[in-house]
Amino acid sequence: MSLTTPLRRSAVTTTTIRTPTTFICSQCRHATLLRRPKRPYTFTQLVTLSDGSTYTQRTTSPLPVYRSTRDTRNSLLWNPSSHKLMNVEEDEAGRLAAFRAKFGRSWDANTPTEEEVKKKEDDVKVHTEAAAAQAAGEQTLEKNNEAAEVEKARLMAEQAKEDQEEEDNLLDLISSFGQEEEAGNKK
Amino acid sequence: MAAREPSRYLARSFSRAILPSARPQSVCFRRNASDDAASKSPADELESSSLATAVPENVVKSFDPIARAKSRKGQLPRSRYQFRSPKYDRGPLHPHQPPPPSDPSSRLFVPGPFSLPRTEQTWESTVAPDILTLCYVHNPPGFKPPPKAPRLREWDDSSPYHKNRQLRGPRGGDVLRLLRKPIRFNNIPVVERVTIHSYVKQAATDNSSWLHVAGMAMQAISNVRVDTFKSKTSVSTWGIAPGRDSVAVKAELRGENMQHFLGKLIDVVMPRIKEWDGIKGTSGDSSGNITFGLEPENVALFPEIEVNYDMYPPKMIPGCHVTLHTSARTDKDARLLLSAMGIPFHGKLVD
Repeated sequence: MSLTTPLRRSAVTTTTIRTPTTFICSQCRHATLLRRPKRPYTFTQLVTLSDGSTYTQRTTSPLPVYRSTRDTRNSLLWNPSSHKLMNVEEDEAGRLAAFRAKFGRSWDANTPTEEEVKKKEDDVKVHTEAAAAQAAGEQTLEKNNEAAEVEKARLMAEQAKEDQEEEDNLLDLISSFGQEEEAGNKK
Repeated sequence: MAAREPSRYLARSFSRAILPSARPQSVCFRRNASDDAASKSPADELESSSLATAVPENVVKSFDPIARAKSRKGQLPRSRYQFRSPKYDRGPLHPHQPPPPSDPSSRLFVPGPFSLPRTEQTWESTVAPDILTLCYVHNPPGFKPPPKAPRLREWDDSSPYHKNRQLRGPRGGDVLRLLRKPIRFNNIPVVERVTIHSYVKQAATDNSSWLHVAGMAMQAISNVRVDTFKSKTSVSTWGIAPGRDSVAVKAELRGENMQHFLGKLIDVVMPRIKEWDGIKGTSGDSSGNITFGLEPENVALFPEIEVNYDMYPPKMIPGCHVTLHTSARTDKDARLLLSAMGIPFHGKLVD
């Protein structure tokens, strides 16, 4: 069996003129059957993704419309920034919801909900900002403040000047790259 | 304004007529034998009988080929001569040669494609321009890339035996890697083919039903008839011997089938795999082909298997390896392509 397969293949390729180089020269004089390629029957299926977008595809499944419940549109891996999917609860059968409806949620009442966490974060941010502003106000007097501003402006101007020079140098370097070699070739 | 328009055009055309043309055509002293013939009208040349006869009115009115074809009950008989491709290939010297497989009359002809898959359209409209933009490298005019050392090194002629010796392989290993060409509009990476392969270990020790089920499952998910393979090596612990029994199943997808397979793999199957955060970043053969595995429970997530899950014995649904062969030369480019098409990668990316 293992011998016949390469022979058949070589016979098929002879239908196109190009003949591959074979190093094992076993002559084959029999006629080879040209088998009709077999292809499974395919249907056209309309796929509906979870966000309602649809497309058609050819498939062996006889189902005319396929509705997917979980796909790239509602999985976290494909939507890493989606806040809604981030906190999705593993409650596919609705058991947790049923439990809560029956016994209330006192069993996890201590764990902060999503809104509480957000509120707390905001509060912390506001506090830190206020504290920083206060500290700055206490330390610097008005006089110092003006002097600092002047100094700052001067430094920025210098910085800009340096940047510009550097850029010019870089541009010179780039534009003269090929020319130097050409000049060398001419000499 | 509108009244003046034609006069302006007239003036332009008039000036063009007066201007001397590049090729003087007006005066020609040479005479050819065909000059006389050209002066005659073509109608005079033809026989008068075929064109000049008037068709009677009733014939014109009764001529309605569309209505006639519609009123016909059955099909017309096919023409007497029909070419039939020879059933057997009798070698290159035989006078009766089969036509090439691209010929519709060939026995090896596969018709298609019948649809324009969504994945292909996405590649055309979105992925290809994005990759082209991401891979653009600007070189200023006059830039010449620094010369590289040859990939195969010369011998340093320190020994007389170096004469006529073959060149040395690259430093740090004997393998010559593929050269990465800069990505231009004509070599944007594409997925060329997909190979789904499954080694069924019980096929060697148990009966052949494992292989049949694996073949049917592979065919269902891929729309392609599978090939079976026999073991080539002998591993006594696995109970396989060379050429004894078929142990593996492979489906090779190209073109339309491949695009549809990729579409359902990415959009439907991959998001439903439990506890999965993407293909490992270390996978790939460093020449642009990326392989990953699917467990049996993941194969069962394909809509074709799900729709009649009862058909397959649940234990016998096979796992498989899927290899995505891309035209990219490096794994980095292949990963860029595949992640643009929606396949996630995780972990350390090895390029």
